[in-house]
Amino acid sequence: MRQMMLLALGGAFLAQMSSAQEVTGDAQAGRKLAMQCRTCHGIEGHAKMPIVPHIGGENPAYIEHQLTAFRDGQRVHEMMSVVAKGLSDQAIADLAAWYSAQEPVAELAPGQDPANAPEACIACHGADGIAQIEDAPNLAGETVMYIDTQLKAFRTGKRTHDVMSPIAAEMTNDEIRAVAEWYSSVRFEVTPAQ
Amino acid sequence: MKHLLSSIATLALSAGLAQGQAANVPDNLDKLSNFQTTGVTDFTFIEQGGDYAEGIKATLEKVTLPDGFKIELYAVVPDARHMAVGPQGIVTFVGTRKDKVWSVTDRNKDRVADEVKDFAPSLQFSIPNGPCFSPDGFLYIAEQNRVLLFPAAEFFYESPDVAAFNLVAKGDLIPEDEESFNHTARVCDIGPDGKIYISLGQPFNVAPKDKLEKYNKWGIGGIIRMNTDGTGREVYTYGVRNSVGQDFHPETGELWWTDNQVDGMGDDIPPGELNRQTEMGQHFGHPWFGGGDVRTNEYKGEEVPVDVVMPAVETIAHAADLGMAFYTGNMFPDHYKNAIFSAQHGSWNRTEPVGARVMVTHIDDEGNAAIEPFAEGWLTEDGEYLGRPVDVAQLRDGSLLVSDDLAGAIYRISYEGN
Repeated sequence: MRQMMLLALGGAFLAQMSSAQEVTGDAQAGRKLAMQCRTCHGIEGHAKMPIVPHIGGENPAYIEHQLTAFRDGQRVHEMMSVVAKGLSDQAIADLAAWYSAQEPVAELAPGQDPANAPEACIACHGADGIAQIEDAPNLAGETVMYIDTQLKAFRTGKRTHDVMSPIAAEMTNDEIRAVAEWYSSVRFEVTPAQ
Repeated sequence: MKHLLSSIATLALSAGLAQGQAANVPDNLDKLSNFQTTGVTDFTFIEQGGDYAEGIKATLEKVTLPDGFKIELYAVVPDARHMAVGPQGIVTFVGTRKDKVWSVTDRNKDRVADEVKDFAPSLQFSIPNGPCFSPDGFLYIAEQNRVLLFPAAEFFYESPDVAAFNLVAKGDLIPEDEESFNHTARVCDIGPDGKIYISLGQPFNVAPKDKLEKYNKWGIGGIIRMNTDGTGREVYTYGVRNSVGQDFHPETGELWWTDNQVDGMGDDIPPGELNRQTEMGQHFGHPWFGGGDVRTNEYKGEEVPVDVVMPAVETIAHAADLGMAFYTGNMFPDHYKNAIFSAQHGSWNRTEPVGARVMVTHIDDEGNAAIEPFAEGWLTEDGEYLGRPVDVAQLRDGSLLVSDDLAGAIYRISYEGN
């Protein structure tokens, strides 16, 4: 039953996202633009510092959605709001094309039994933290504090999302930490695009 | 329709969470506060040799220093941030912006660490960036929203179970709804007055008006101090954007600290800052000033309602001045006595990257301060970082440790004359 609902939900997102994307991204143009991202996110999207997420191999729709939200002020971060402010729709599409062209590789750590994966998350984010739907980020190998911070941002309303806000609203600090530890423990690499 | 489906799915997901996630992560602080064992016995050890260390050593060959100085790899320490050297010289604790604190030991005293392992592995840390020691051997660790205290840490750290107590309990350092990840790398120091001083960065690029009253009350965008029993908390410094380095002048006892300044105003403004504070309650200008005397766009044209202390030293824009320490050792030439060593982490979005180096600031008899590069070479010609220095700390022999959170390393700078 739950699976069915989620499929329907995924469909709703596809419809929502496709209308927002008119521009076609060019990965090579995105690679050039990514020179301004690499100090924090890495040129191939493997994060260089703990406060930023891995974005190599992210779904292009998710990257576009987030960059647009930073640019337009629906999502606020003291660094990303500054850099996204000047991005055109084309630049956002190019960056999304470049980073999504990278291959995300996730592997459960020794001792991580997929049966213990956080049940509420796996339908969208996978047991290994690789997104199952378009508008969800990969969580594999993100730092505990990154995931912890994002879930708390959804809980307090600093960040909003149709699905994540109500889920996070019900979570305790300990539950948030447990979810964060699960996905942070997954081994994650980015295989550069050929 | 979409909304309805979302709501149903949300209910299903929430139910799943309640049933599937009996997520009760134990925080062992209660046990450790009662000197009980936690059952956690495993340390994580970090390999010190091998290809990874060789790669770092190759980078260090590109680093230049004044004549007579050399830099060597001291330890491989993942995500190494701020450091606290034990007063007995046994162990150096190193914070991270993740969830671990590392203990670094040079057992055979050849000035290269032999063992790096996690400290207090049974405790759940959250951004434990800032360790600091009191002269009598109490280790303090300033986290995102808690400050822990570890008596006799240089003795207890060899066991997974250490004596550990709250100085500031979780959720009492700042209001929980003000927690952030960026600008949350706290540092601490024990002052000549015996109080602990803790920096509290404010989470915004420029702090918005509707937050100022609350932030001033808590000391967010400031530096707070309190007694080492947790009482007497007060705001010592106002008008800070995000300070990630501080030390007390060895002779005057005045607090000096670095501050990271506003982004998004261009490559060359506003300057970074090294500040000198002469008394409690002084205001250093944020959010009316973005760095130096450059006014922020958000507050442009508004009358500044406070008396502002301008920086003692302006540094190049966006270089990210972080950790700093006054030099009090005997190893370096005399003119380094009481000079400030500080680390520039390096810019993150400047067109031409700048920073990733160790700076030295000399202060003359009139109190004028002049800053210049001391160790550099971690930034390549095509703008790639090979390392990003974070903090500096002095070993008892007078040599200088430098931490690097990109390479995941600690270096040691020593002087051997000409």
